[in-house]
Amino acid sequence: MAAAQQRGGTLTVGLGYDIDTLNVYSTGFLGDVQAAVVEGLVAPDAKANYVPVLATQVPTVRNGGIKIAPDGKTMTVTYRLRPGLKWSDGVPMTSEDVKFTWEAVKNPKFIAESKDGTEDISSIDTPNATTVVVNYKRVAPDFMSTLFTFGIFPKHTLDGKDLNTDAYNEKPLGTGPFMVKEFKRGQYVILERNPYYWRKDSKGVQLPYLDGMIFKIIPDSNTLVTQVRTGEVQLAYGIPYSQVTQLDGVPGVKIVKNNVLSWQHLDFNLKTIDAFKDVNVRKAFAYAINKAAVSKALGGYPTPINTVVVPVFSYTNPAVPKYDYNLARAQQLLDAAGWKVGSDGVRAKDGKRLSFKIMAQAGRSTDEDAEQVIIASLKQAGIELQPDNKSGVAFRDARYKGNYDLFYGGWITSADPTYSVFFGSKGVNNGQGYASAKIDALLARAESTLDPAQRTAALREFQTELMTDLPSIPVTSNPSMIAVTEKLGGFVPNPTNMTNFVNTSGWYLNK
Amino acid sequence: MNATHLLKRLLGTLPLLLGVSLLLFGVLHLAPGGPLDVYADNPSVSPEALAQMRTAFGLDQPLPVQYVSWVTAFFTGEWGYSIRTARPVTQEIAERIVPTLILGGTSFVLSLLIALPLGIVSAVRRYSGVDYVITFLSFLGVSMPVFWLALMLQLLFAVQWRILPSAGIQTIGSNSVLDLIHHLILPACILAFASVAGWSRYMRSSMVEVLGQDYVRTARAKGLTTSRVVYHHALRNALIPIITVVALDFATILSGAVITETIFAWPGIGRLFIESMNGRDYPVLMALMMAGSFALILSNLLADLAYAAVDPRIRYE
Repeated sequence: MAAAQQRGGTLTVGLGYDIDTLNVYSTGFLGDVQAAVVEGLVAPDAKANYVPVLATQVPTVRNGGIKIAPDGKTMTVTYRLRPGLKWSDGVPMTSEDVKFTWEAVKNPKFIAESKDGTEDISSIDTPNATTVVVNYKRVAPDFMSTLFTFGIFPKHTLDGKDLNTDAYNEKPLGTGPFMVKEFKRGQYVILERNPYYWRKDSKGVQLPYLDGMIFKIIPDSNTLVTQVRTGEVQLAYGIPYSQVTQLDGVPGVKIVKNNVLSWQHLDFNLKTIDAFKDVNVRKAFAYAINKAAVSKALGGYPTPINTVVVPVFSYTNPAVPKYDYNLARAQQLLDAAGWKVGSDGVRAKDGKRLSFKIMAQAGRSTDEDAEQVIIASLKQAGIELQPDNKSGVAFRDARYKGNYDLFYGGWITSADPTYSVFFGSKGVNNGQGYASAKIDALLARAESTLDPAQRTAALREFQTELMTDLPSIPVTSNPSMIAVTEKLGGFVPNPTNMTNFVNTSGWYLNK
Repeated sequence: MNATHLLKRLLGTLPLLLGVSLLLFGVLHLAPGGPLDVYADNPSVSPEALAQMRTAFGLDQPLPVQYVSWVTAFFTGEWGYSIRTARPVTQEIAERIVPTLILGGTSFVLSLLIALPLGIVSAVRRYSGVDYVITFLSFLGVSMPVFWLALMLQLLFAVQWRILPSAGIQTIGSNSVLDLIHHLILPACILAFASVAGWSRYMRSSMVEVLGQDYVRTARAKGLTTSRVVYHHALRNALIPIITVVALDFATILSGAVITETIFAWPGIGRLFIESMNGRDYPVLMALMMAGSFALILSNLLADLAYAAVDPRIRYE
């Protein structure tokens, strides 16, 4: 890689959504632009492992960065910042900024979507400008996927300001490779090189290589693809599977597959639908779904999965109970459960038909296509499904409250997912009303230990238990397809919710 | 129409607007979900954070209280803050209205310039080859989905021939008018296509009717030339029904062209509306819909004024 990097050039990126704010802590999106401007202390890399950014190393128990109190109930995390860090306005960045970030995000007056992790911290000490000692109220193994990983606020410009309305939201000040030159709402964001950026390449060349980046907002995915074809956009992610082959033939454009941390699943509503309370019925559903056919309908890009933990993670359990496509087995289970095929081909029991509504997000074509395959699959087993798709807020509302019979959709997580939010009996994203004391206990164990071996053991057992109980059928893991100009070097996609733009300093354009 | 009448009409819109606002507010809040659901979509949002936001936006108040505080604020010019972006609603709308007016205005003028002559030609040369061609084209225009036409034209002009940009309002960094016009051509033509199709049909039938009336026949009998009969005697009367149609469409220009703006990444009101709708951004939605209602009422008034100007028999007392 060493010889060829060229300095200069501007990369134009197409974004498929309208940016609400450039503040990482209050945006409703993942924050692509922000990731090139604002840095955290650590960040996940292309393999979803945390690597140091502003900190000199990732704190662990082994390197002494994490110390657990003798009573085992609290912990202290120490970060050592790189010396000589500067904000893009030239002011030094210090441990005071880290402390300020915690205080600002925690402040009830600040309306933020990501306050996760602030309540776990009791206090922060700053013995010197480059040392941050964070005192936690509990042992929080997921501390890295929250707060300081997202970004650090500059104390010298934000102290005493109202973060809800401050100009920071339009022009954030960061330590990242780029800084915001102009943000025109609904149109574009122009980024230019940060002259004070701290990172140099292996030959001592000041990074970033690029002079700047332009993020163009193009809400329609067809138009986004058109812009890639005309060269008006040089990088776009989330290309619809149906359009990938079209783009593959375009000269100068290559397609990169990003195995994002997402899994697609079919959830049963266990609160109101009596038929689903029988585990054999749920298993019959699982056997009747042809996951390979779902993948094929989506261009063959998705990978069929057997557990909710995607294969990227080391604690994926390959030995969970599997439900490979087996129509005979599904019919056998339903027959045994008393659901007999009626004259209309649909099974029934005590006058009740095995007929339900299935909800997916309207307009999300990959999900809607998969839904059709699932409906066709289940019909063969004598189960009737009718699509009841909803869009926007109506969809989310139904999902959270569990106003559906069956729900098909996907989740994308951080590099350190907290599964209790989905499957814990009090989980905020558990709309289906699933509750299992055993699962709760296993997740509590996994989410309160820093010992990797214990954590892996608990999470593996959780997967076995979940796949035995089967409140949710994992279907596929869907990659995100990225179209990128062949001229771009140094580009590595990031599978986590920290976005592909988490490390742009090493990107370069060949002339 | 005199000034007192105009003033009366304007004052009459106040209770109407109030009623409309009550309806809109009710319907909006009856729709499932709320502005915070967008945040809840992120698995890392804590219930405490959501509760804090609910209090901060006043969403925990009973609906009637929320409505009354909204009305009082709205009529004193305080349109509140967008929940999505935390910026003043007025600023949010002000930024988006200009692109919408440019796009809508251009296509409006374009449509008028094309639709009226087409309709007249069609009527005058009824059942001729020209009439059939125009009729065919206008049915095509009415029935063709905007997004499909847009995609086809993008493919042709941007991908194949590379003579027009496929989206956006300007080349980034360029502020020239020529560049704007370059970006305007495709979306304006597509928007105009549907209007032309509709309006030319109205123009045709209205003209056909007028041309069959006694006074036109009298004019012809006096030996006037066809063009004099058509343009001096018939056109004025034939225009009257068109004014209503056109005036009502004028209001939709202000509300933005949702599909066209989305496809062409045009930063206008239509897109703001969709984003706000998807996020249930109540303050922005209410302001947009109120502005839309006001525009509709206003264009009705304009239509009445134009009526009186075109047809001296119509007088408002």
